[in-house]
Amino acid sequence: MNALQRISPVGLSGTPLKTEARDHWQVVLEYQDEGQGPYLVDLSHRNRLDLQSSDLASKKPFGMTVPDIPGRSLMDKGILANRMNRTQVSLYHLDGERPDLPAEPEYTDVTEATLFIALIGAPVFSICEKLTALDFMAPDRQPPFLYQGPFAHVPCQMVTLNRDAAQAGLVLTCSRGYGRDMIHAIMGAGEEFGLRPAGESRFTQWFQSL
Amino acid sequence: MALTITCPICGPRNGYEFRYGGEEKGPRPEENNLTPEAWCDYVHLNECVAGVQQEWWFHRDGCGAWFTIFRDTTTNLQTEQPEASQ
Repeated sequence: MNALQRISPVGLSGTPLKTEARDHWQVVLEYQDEGQGPYLVDLSHRNRLDLQSSDLASKKPFGMTVPDIPGRSLMDKGILANRMNRTQVSLYHLDGERPDLPAEPEYTDVTEATLFIALIGAPVFSICEKLTALDFMAPDRQPPFLYQGPFAHVPCQMVTLNRDAAQAGLVLTCSRGYGRDMIHAIMGAGEEFGLRPAGESRFTQWFQSL
Repeated sequence: MALTITCPICGPRNGYEFRYGGEEKGPRPEENNLTPEAWCDYVHLNECVAGVQQEWWFHRDGCGAWFTIFRDTTTNLQTEQPEASQ
């Protein structure tokens, strides 16, 4: 019998130094010569869920309260909840052990339908500025916050986690079919800033320092 | 022609992020005693006003919300209310 394999839609050009098999994904923990940042990290193996309900206020995904206003995000125990609109919330698992996924029908596992990357490092918003008209530095928004809109002309969800120069970073998700071209566009835009592929350990280290 | 549309969730965005949903025509007609002709008129006939009209838009590349705006069809600018251009 053939073994089940899950393939990330993100193909990075770096040479993996440390890898780990996890839930049928081959996760790169560290790349050779990751440089000094900024970094692009593939997190497509991390679980993502969509929650849809006409009564979101009564829902407690993973025991947490969902944000009450569209565009707002909340973080709790490594889970990021993003209010998309009146009836939908997206949930990202960013840190810690893989949680037990809810069995209720209002939850949809979109992990294998989407790509998921993190951009971390001081100049990431200068890179984003080349690819989207969305204003990540808008003073009326406080991280973490969700943007839904085109990034490199592709409909995306982008959550800014930190805007401080030393620890700036965001996560981005879109349909997995755009994977190759999205990475090509982002790596191209980030070339002048020294953007390099990095392993999951780099993201975990950054996330836990927030 | 450039068009900026204000999504109630995401704020002002480029018109290319949206899909047009047609004129606002009021509630769907009652199905009791509804004739094919009346249904056809409801579905296909439009006012096509030269001026401000209320119309539906879908934020396709963004939050996925359906909403209505008022737009002046002669200037292609969104207006606050129906009488804004009068």
